[in-house]
Amino acid sequence: MLTQLKHYLSLLGLIVLVLLVGVLTSSVHDSQFDQSVVEFLIRMVVVIGIYLFVGNSGITSFGHIGFMAIGAYASAWQTCCPSLKPMTMPGLPDFLLRNSVPFVPSVVMSGLLAAAVALVVGMFMMRLSGIAASTATFAFLIIVNVVYSNWREVTGGTSSIVGIPIEVDVWTAVVWVVIALIGAHAFENSRYGLSLRASRDDEVAAKAAGVNVVAQRLVAFVGSAFIVGIGGALYSHFLGVLTTDTFYLDLTFITLAMLVIGGVGSLAGATVGVLTISILIDILRRLEAGVSVGGTMVSLPSGLEEILLGVAMLLILVYRPKGLFGGRTTLT
Amino acid sequence: MLLSIDNIVVHYGRLAAVRGISLEVQPGEIVCIVGPNGAGKSTTLLTVGGALSPSSGTIRFEGRTIAGAEPEEIARLGLAIVPEGRHIFATLTVNENLRIGAGMRRDRHQFAQDFERVLSYFPRLAERLRFPAGRLSGGEQQMLAIGRALLTKPRLIAIDEPSLGLAPLVVDQVYEILAELRRRENLTMLIVEQSTRRAVQCADRIYVLRSGRIELAGSSSELTGGQLLERAYFGFTGA
Amino acid sequence: MLEALQYATDAVSLGSLYALSALGIGLLFGVLRLINFAHGDFISVGAYGLIVPSANAMAVMYFGALPWPAVIAVIVAVVAFLALLSEAIVFRPLRGASPATMMIGSFALSFIVQNSLLLVYGSRPKAVDLWANLSRPIAVGGVRFQQLQLVTIGVTAVLLAALVLFLRRTRFGLEMRAAAEDFCMARMLGVRANRVIAMAFALSGGLAAVVSLLYVAQSGILSVQMGVPLMLFAFISTVIGGMGSLLGAVLGGFIVGILNVVLQVMLPGELRSFRDAFLFLMVIFILLLRPSGLVPVAAMKERI
Repeated sequence: MLTQLKHYLSLLGLIVLVLLVGVLTSSVHDSQFDQSVVEFLIRMVVVIGIYLFVGNSGITSFGHIGFMAIGAYASAWQTCCPSLKPMTMPGLPDFLLRNSVPFVPSVVMSGLLAAAVALVVGMFMMRLSGIAASTATFAFLIIVNVVYSNWREVTGGTSSIVGIPIEVDVWTAVVWVVIALIGAHAFENSRYGLSLRASRDDEVAAKAAGVNVVAQRLVAFVGSAFIVGIGGALYSHFLGVLTTDTFYLDLTFITLAMLVIGGVGSLAGATVGVLTISILIDILRRLEAGVSVGGTMVSLPSGLEEILLGVAMLLILVYRPKGLFGGRTTLT
Repeated sequence: MLLSIDNIVVHYGRLAAVRGISLEVQPGEIVCIVGPNGAGKSTTLLTVGGALSPSSGTIRFEGRTIAGAEPEEIARLGLAIVPEGRHIFATLTVNENLRIGAGMRRDRHQFAQDFERVLSYFPRLAERLRFPAGRLSGGEQQMLAIGRALLTKPRLIAIDEPSLGLAPLVVDQVYEILAELRRRENLTMLIVEQSTRRAVQCADRIYVLRSGRIELAGSSSELTGGQLLERAYFGFTGA
Repeated sequence: MLEALQYATDAVSLGSLYALSALGIGLLFGVLRLINFAHGDFISVGAYGLIVPSANAMAVMYFGALPWPAVIAVIVAVVAFLALLSEAIVFRPLRGASPATMMIGSFALSFIVQNSLLLVYGSRPKAVDLWANLSRPIAVGGVRFQQLQLVTIGVTAVLLAALVLFLRRTRFGLEMRAAAEDFCMARMLGVRANRVIAMAFALSGGLAAVVSLLYVAQSGILSVQMGVPLMLFAFISTVIGGMGSLLGAVLGGFIVGILNVVLQVMLPGELRSFRDAFLFLMVIFILLLRPSGLVPVAAMKERI
């Protein structure tokens, strides 16, 4: 009973934190800060989605950014540039070419498409465990990337899709983050989440106890793809522009790093991870742009920003190998 | 005093498997640690060998502090561990298994002599030098593990459950060899044993472990006959 | 018939490259249970080591201009040094951490190395002319082969034989094999962990260097991300072949190389650009059939 309460309090704490971020950003009237915060919030949605699967099943998935790509492009197909669409994406089916879908339904539909793909591929992949499973998800990421980069008629291939309506501001993002938090929390405290975590810790014992590990994993996989797909849709409506090479190794690495650095065992850990790395990235970006220190402009030579980011992440890992949130599972 | 363990506490995560154990081993002795499953016997041995680090307390070998030292350093000081389950290198041959410890010895000629001597203790191993060690029987694997440890030229050898998974006849053989080793090599031994009968037969002194603590300690002559040993083992206190 | 022979050579030559790359990853995994995602960047560093450091589009050969034995020696030394440095600075502090942490650590290292290359050499790919004479064809028994392909296959065979000899006949090799099977027990028998691990990294780096030279001679281009596809294929190869088994890594490498060429040949024109998608689809199938890989290693299996 007490642990239940702790979990709810922890969720509440995270929601309050996110709302505070929204309030803070609104009061600071800085459009650049706004942009950074929205980016951070969208990353939160994606990492929460990844956590839902990785944290509960124990399988490191390299493939989730593939779902982000699916969601992003799906939303672009629905809402983008009605005048340009027939030219840039002629391969799309007629009903998409001729119609536009409003923002919110398009986001949900994009999530559903990602979830549907997850269902189909997951039926096979979730039979695997450990490294084999992780490798399969890696293969999935690469397959999505190759297909989307080459399917010019539908995705614009390696050139960008432009003209996606920009619909995501800070409060929109906050709402979706809260929805994702509640969804992930609901799952991990449901019987699906609990029995999945049992199988994470001891697969053989769980199977012996009658747990259908493959089915549990599939539920988590589909749910996580849904959330990550939504993250992708939000991203495309934030940036207004899409290219396939965004959704590949670098983003996979950064999102996984955020998860591991924050602490792969908990929702709070995932949140802390995204927050920490996002703050780091923002600080480094500003340093590179130039910061005035006592009257003089100090700036990092370009290219150093990423190196310092990598170094910072390594340092955190060395000093907190279990992640910033360590083995703890709740904020309280 | 060859080995002294002073009030060590060993944790697995947040669980304390060993909660303040002190024991000592004098040169030339055979000391046995007995106790039920989960008492912390293997944990103690692994900590002595350097595979685990105590959260508090000290371990001294020949006067040197070894608690928290690297396993390869402890091996070089003359302390050999034969852990529970033998842990022989299944994909290496018997010959290769035996020669692993040679890396830390400088005395090639002496090693060759020791090698022959170990094979004389374990003739079955001599017959199977080229076999992959994974194909040996349980008893042969146990002999291999002991022989391999012997070749590191230890002054103290710590063996965890030499009888585990072996048929009684085979266990007899193993203990015969241990007794012979003690006679011929003047080897000091620390043996973890589940069977109190075996312990009493072979040991000079016995420690009884229960739930991470020492319940009882004494020479085997003191502890046999009465019911002290069984009582301590099973945790009966008082009358 | 002639075409088939040419394709077969393509396949074996590509497979050799992947096998060597997979060995580099497999060695570290066997001893440390570490998947080194920075391995591809070790390969890139080896290639960039050939030229004068500058961001110019025209690359000027530096070490690459030396006679070929010296080039090999220098680049092997450079990459082996980088590997040992990585071990000391990145992986040793992370020893004992969870596999996920070590993996992110290697990702971070990869990130740092790539961006460092970017900083020094610029983002534009550079054309490099290494051992161009090897690109000329050579006639063997009436069939024309590309010299470089034969060299690749030959070098791989020699390296594999050397590695096997090293593992089976030397003290170091014995210790590495014991450590790969049961590191803790090996240490309790006096095997020095740091020495074995350093050896594994040095070997891995050396293998990466050889791959980088063969690859650059073949492609003639340097780019900051050039090692990434090789690392991906190497990783996939080790998993298909059986993680923890060096034979498996080699086998996996050849299978991936052969599949690659087979798909290239058999796919109809419009689908050719999707070749990698098909390849990785087949990888998923292979995993479904043999999740532990083709050469299962007993030490890696779960003990109930």
